[in-house]
Amino acid sequence: MNIILIQMRTNILSMKKIFIPILITPVLIIFTAFFILPVAQLAVKSVQGPHIFSTYVTMLTTDRYLETLFYTVILSLGVTLVTVIISGISGVFLQRNEFYGKNILVAMLTFPLAFPGVVVGFMIILLAGRQGLIGNVSKAISGEKIVLAYSMAGLFLGYIYFSIPRVITTVMAAAEKIDPRLEEAALSLGASTWQVTRDVLVPALSPALVSAGAICFATAMGAFGTAFTLATDIDVLAVVIYTEFTLSANITMASALSIFLGIITWGVLSLARLSTGETLAASG
Amino acid sequence: MRLMKKQTHLFYAQLTLTLLMCVFLIVPVIQSVMAGVTVNYFVGIKSGLTLKWLKEVWRLYSDTIFRSIYIGLTCLAVDIITGIPAAYVMVKCKNRLTRVIEELLVIPLAIPGLAIALGILICYGRWTTFRMSWFIILAGHVIFTLPFMIRSVIAVMSSFNMLEMEEGAASLGAGFWNRFFEIVIPNAKSGILAGSLMVFTLSIGEFNLTWMLHTPLTKTLPVGLADSYASMRLEIGSAYTIVFFFMIIPILMAMQWIGKSKSKFSDKPAWLDRIRRPQQVMKVRHCGVAHLQETRFSDKQSIIHLTSMKKLRQYRSHPLTPETSSGNLTGDTKTGISIRVKNCSKTFPDGTRALNSTNLSVEGGESIVILGPSGCGKTTILRIIAGLEMPDSDGKVFFEDEDVTKIPIENRNVGMVFQSYALFPNMNVADNIAYGLKVRGDVLKNRQRRVDEMLEMMQIAELKYRNINQLSGGQKQRVALARAIAIRPRVLLLDEPLTALDAKLRDVLRIEIEHLLKFIGITSIYVTHDQSEAMALGDRIVVMKKGGIAQVGTPREIYFKPANRFVAEFIGAINRIKCRVEGDKLVFPYNNIRLNDATNITLAKEEELEIFFRPEHVTIAETGTGHLEVTVDSAIFTGDRTQLVVSDIFKNLIRMEAPGKITFRKGESIEIRLDSTALFTMEE
Repeated sequence: MNIILIQMRTNILSMKKIFIPILITPVLIIFTAFFILPVAQLAVKSVQGPHIFSTYVTMLTTDRYLETLFYTVILSLGVTLVTVIISGISGVFLQRNEFYGKNILVAMLTFPLAFPGVVVGFMIILLAGRQGLIGNVSKAISGEKIVLAYSMAGLFLGYIYFSIPRVITTVMAAAEKIDPRLEEAALSLGASTWQVTRDVLVPALSPALVSAGAICFATAMGAFGTAFTLATDIDVLAVVIYTEFTLSANITMASALSIFLGIITWGVLSLARLSTGETLAASG
Repeated sequence: MRLMKKQTHLFYAQLTLTLLMCVFLIVPVIQSVMAGVTVNYFVGIKSGLTLKWLKEVWRLYSDTIFRSIYIGLTCLAVDIITGIPAAYVMVKCKNRLTRVIEELLVIPLAIPGLAIALGILICYGRWTTFRMSWFIILAGHVIFTLPFMIRSVIAVMSSFNMLEMEEGAASLGAGFWNRFFEIVIPNAKSGILAGSLMVFTLSIGEFNLTWMLHTPLTKTLPVGLADSYASMRLEIGSAYTIVFFFMIIPILMAMQWIGKSKSKFSDKPAWLDRIRRPQQVMKVRHCGVAHLQETRFSDKQSIIHLTSMKKLRQYRSHPLTPETSSGNLTGDTKTGISIRVKNCSKTFPDGTRALNSTNLSVEGGESIVILGPSGCGKTTILRIIAGLEMPDSDGKVFFEDEDVTKIPIENRNVGMVFQSYALFPNMNVADNIAYGLKVRGDVLKNRQRRVDEMLEMMQIAELKYRNINQLSGGQKQRVALARAIAIRPRVLLLDEPLTALDAKLRDVLRIEIEHLLKFIGITSIYVTHDQSEAMALGDRIVVMKKGGIAQVGTPREIYFKPANRFVAEFIGAINRIKCRVEGDKLVFPYNNIRLNDATNITLAKEEELEIFFRPEHVTIAETGTGHLEVTVDSAIFTGDRTQLVVSDIFKNLIRMEAPGKITFRKGESIEIRLDSTALFTMEE
């Protein structure tokens, strides 16, 4: 009797082997069907042409695409740099100081976290559009209406608007984990506030800053909603992909641009992940 | 001080920057709200306030709002059903497959939604029914949001010791699905909730994918927003934006609330609170019932009661077997079952050999302590006996004559106490204790009786309905013991149960456990690296070294007749000096020792012998009566005695003790005498 029972029971290790596929299969199916296959299709489409890389060669030799690529990268880099610096300062400041109204300030700074790109675009139109606040104020002051929304500056503002809440929350979470005694120790050793910031705070924050910056860059590279709403005179990569696909019906070029864009952003995120040695915090 | 320092121009500069950012972010929000309720935005507020734009939005776009909500909810359901199991597997098994999936989870963050949508269109666009329905949008949203759900759940699952908690549940008899639904999911609740809010928000606001995938009949909220912005009526766009704000504000508030409550209920140890409230008034206890109040004293005081044998006898008099299906204890509770470990070795997948081929037998009712430094394989052997590890292929474990090697822990009926307690934070004290019985299918009445019995035995009746995170370390340890014993296990296994406690509490609980084990009469195996625990608790001690057994014996045998130098040096302090043998004498500078008196000395071929003795076998001698003269190197007064380190003329250090009333000076010469019967020799 005992022997039969023993045979029926399986050990804990072999049980794992049975249950793991059951638990993981649904995710694998979804990812294969709606991510791996589609991206593979994109890749296949992108190499259709006279020879394998002809689309990519066209892409890298046509001025319009190169210009777009250049603008998108410069814009994303600029947005990343500015956002990381100002949100970094502000995030640490909010984490380290208690003052009246701080909670409201934090709530306001993180409110736009849930805004889709289109809403951000609309916000920029309201702020810097033809009837925007900046225009009205500048008209009242200097008599000249400043309209930023539909240019590179508008995109720049929009992407910063989009990125600030994300970076600030990451920085605040990271700053919370830094032991304040480290700073106190540095102060007790005679370091100035600037030296403490340079030698203690920034190094401790750097993994968070790098990963937040990488996400910021990747998001800016692929952002579509804001640029779509602003309908600026400068085309960014995402908009070009969209127009190639819908207006020109140039699926091959749209695919090649998508793959190219994906490789850049994925590469940047992977680099950040390698350099910080940790997984990237979730962000959109 | 620090606060004062910060109120400088630097503080104000930072504040200004933050305020400017705030203005930048919030002014357009206010503008849009104003525009949405103003009759004519270009004229301004003077044109009057109205709700007509909101009504207009409702008329034009309400379908997009509802569609977004049900796509969001369906997406959430898919993410929960597929994401939570995946997160669990990824936390639990680290192998190539899970690493690939982890990498896959990053890619949807990296590859822009537009590109993914393009791929989906190319792939599935020709399936018209699918293409025209909102399911294609759902597919995109699931791919986009699933990584967030999985990451959020993984973060929480890694923050509590899921593996050990599951092992705890398995030791109480819970099978896989039971553990998954009753331990893993309830404890990952905060991560699931945070992930859910995130997923829903992202799905509601997703534009990039959706814009590519939508059809005129499957517009969602952001698509509607884009349409309204393109309609050239700023007021309608603004009014729709207001609607969007109203939808996301509750979600954002819920997210903040979760974030706050998470930090509030973080597993901050209970003693921290107590340190902050030092003047706890101790309650008077009455009627012989110990009130375990939240003071540090509570743990120590209850010993008076627990060691009152009456309670323990009472416990023993309870029928241990009849009404339980699982109780394999024989009628005589004094003799538990015997355990045999045969040729068990353990090599981990990475090639590390944790345990060399080992044999060990434990008699029924015996308390065995496995003692050794960290990394010696003591926990591995315990986990093999428990059923948490499989020994390498030729190893076998027997309970009595039953070969249990292939039986998983949940069917072995062993009680296990873990170093970190592995109590389930999603259940209170009583539920923790009752869990093993519940898994076994005991009826409620029996469970309640058994829980009360256990609570009384462990003197923690007052804690019955407490949450686990409200307990002190000692209280947690008692609950863990009660939970393990409640199931009437065949064997009780304790894995360094006192290591996490402070020294004084450890002493108290050690004595309690000693009494408990003796009186239940259960076969027990106790793993520790603390020799005093081993001495106090073990009928026999197994000393382990580098994956093998160095010696098995009673505490006395181990102490007085260590089998080798490792054991001698690991248990207590040991002195060693070299001395010459001449004829039938051991030669010392002052007086010699006759070999006939030194019964534990084994002669070697060489003339010079290395002899060993314990500090307590050295005494200070009157001048002329000692064996050798030494110089005091250090003297530490500990109250009742003084611990001395002295050195002989060859600079051999000797540790010894002297009565506390004698004072010593450094460099002082004293004559010492060795207890000739306690001298021994040892092999390498």
